Amino acid sequence: MGIITVLWEKWVEFRRDFYKITVAAMISPLMYLIVFGLGIRTTSHGQPYIFFLVPGLVAMVTMTGSFSAIAQNMSVQRLYEKALDQVMVSPTPLWQFILGQVIGGSLRGMYAAAVILILTIPVRYNLIFNGLSFLIMLLNGMVFATLALVLSFLSKTYSDAPRFNTYIIMPMSFLCNTFFSTEEMPDGFRQIIEILPLSQASAMIRSISYGESPDLTGIVILLAYLVILGGISVFFIYKKKNL
Amino acid sequence: MIEVRELTKKFGDFTAVDNLSLRIETGEFFGLLGPNGAGKTTTISMLSTVLLPTSGGIFIDGKPLTRAASEQKRKLAVITQEYSMRQDMTMDEVMEYQGRLYFLPKKEIRSRTDELFEFAGLSDFHRRTVRHLSGGMKRKLMICRALLIKPEILLLDEPTAGMDALSRRQMWNLLRQVNDRDMTILLTTHYIEEAEALCDRVAMINRGRLQKLDTPRALIDELGRFTVEQTGEMSLTSRHFGSREEAIRYLETAGPDAALRATTLEDVFVECAGRKIT
Repeated sequence: MGIITVLWEKWVEFRRDFYKITVAAMISPLMYLIVFGLGIRTTSHGQPYIFFLVPGLVAMVTMTGSFSAIAQNMSVQRLYEKALDQVMVSPTPLWQFILGQVIGGSLRGMYAAAVILILTIPVRYNLIFNGLSFLIMLLNGMVFATLALVLSFLSKTYSDAPRFNTYIIMPMSFLCNTFFSTEEMPDGFRQIIEILPLSQASAMIRSISYGESPDLTGIVILLAYLVILGGISVFFIYKKKNL
Repeated sequence: MIEVRELTKKFGDFTAVDNLSLRIETGEFFGLLGPNGAGKTTTISMLSTVLLPTSGGIFIDGKPLTRAASEQKRKLAVITQEYSMRQDMTMDEVMEYQGRLYFLPKKEIRSRTDELFEFAGLSDFHRRTVRHLSGGMKRKLMICRALLIKPEILLLDEPTAGMDALSRRQMWNLLRQVNDRDMTILLTTHYIEEAEALCDRVAMINRGRLQKLDTPRALIDELGRFTVEQTGEMSLTSRHFGSREEAIRYLETAGPDAALRATTLEDVFVECAGRKIT
C-alpha cells in the first residue's frame, strides 16, 4: 500500500514534468550517439561502432535516469522542502517508502531507456532487446535508485546531489563498458571496473543484443548490490539519528 | 496520553534537550515555551521521529514511539515550523498524498479535503501549486493536511509564526475547536499570550532543560499576581507582588515612571528564561 502511494507521487511528478523529463532523457545520449556513433565512424569487433554503443547507452541511461530521479528529488525533499518529515511521521512503513522509491526510480530509468530505444530504431538494425534485456535494465535502475537513496541520506546540503553525479555517475558512464570494452583496460584497474554494476548491465545487455547468451552471474552481482544498498538505505531510514 | 521520559538529544558536544520528562494527558492542550534555541523544535522533531533521541524515550498511550511504530504514528499529526510540503504539488495533491500515507480511502480524502478547504477558505485555490501560495495560505494548508487524518494528537511547532494578528486569532479559534473534540494538542510557541490564551498547562524550557511546569494561572500566582513595572532611561525593571496592597505600597515609593499591572505569563517566562523574548 505504501509502495503504491510512493508510485502515485512519482506518477504525479512524471505527469507534471513529462516534457522536461523526456527532453533530459534524450539530450546527452543523443549527443553521444551523434558524436561517437555517427560523427566518428569506427568499427568495434568487426562491426559498426554504433552496434557496440547502443546497448551501452541503453544501460547507461537506465543508470542516469534512475539515479537522477531519486538523488535530486530526495535531497531537496529531505534538506530543503522538509517534505520527508511528512512521510517520517506517517504510519506508512518506511521500508515500503524505500521500496516505492526504488521501483519508481527504476521505472524512470526504464522510461529513459525506452526513449533511447525508440530514437535509435533507424540505426540499430538487428540488435535484439528482449524481456531479459528489460529485466536487466530494471535491475540496473533499481541498483542506482537505491544508491541515490543512500547518498541522499548522507547529503548535508542539497547541492551535494550534483557532486555525487560528478564523482560517481559520470566516471561510471564513461568507464563501465559503455563506450569501449573493459577488455582494453590494464589489469587491476579492469577487474575493479568490471565488478561495477553498470559494467555488468552493459555487458549483459550487449550480449543479448548480439544474439549471444549473457553471463548471468551479472544478475547475481546486480542483486548483491541491490541487497547491500537496500539494506543500508533501510538501516538509515529507521536508525539514522538525524534524518 | 504522551509521556516523555528523560529525553536527551545531543548534537556533538551540544545538548539541545537535556533529560526532559513530561506527561501530557489525553485531551489536554499543552504548551511548550522557551526562547529561540531552547530545544522546542528538537523536542517536536523527536516526537515526530524525524530525530531519534540520544537517550530516553517517548511513549504514546504507554507504547514506545519509534520510526517503526505505525500504530502510534497513526495517532499523530504534526504542523512544523517550516512549510514541510512538496512545493511542486497542488493543494489537492498535497492532501491526497497525506491521505494515502495514512491509508484513507480516496472518497474520504476527497470529501474531507473539500470540507477542510471550505472551512479554511482555501476552496478557490485548490489547484494552485504550493510554491505559488502566500505564507498564510501555506500555513492554513498545513493545518488542513494535519486535520485530514483526524489525529488523536496534534503537534504544533510555532503554528502562528509569521501570521498577522487577525489570522492568529482565527487560528486560536480553530485550535480551540479541535481541542474541544478531545484532541490532545502540544503547542510550541514563543508568543506567550498564545500559550496563555490556549493552554491548560505549560512547560517552560530553557537550554533544553525543564524550568517550570504548571497551569498558566498557577505559574502567575507563584510569581505574584501584580507587577510594578518601572521604566528607567536604559532599562525596564519589574517587581512582582502577591497582593494588590503590597504592590500599591511599593508603587508609592517607586517614582513617576512606575506602573501597576496584572502579572502575565510573559513575566513568568522572563523570570524563568532570564531574558525578554521577541
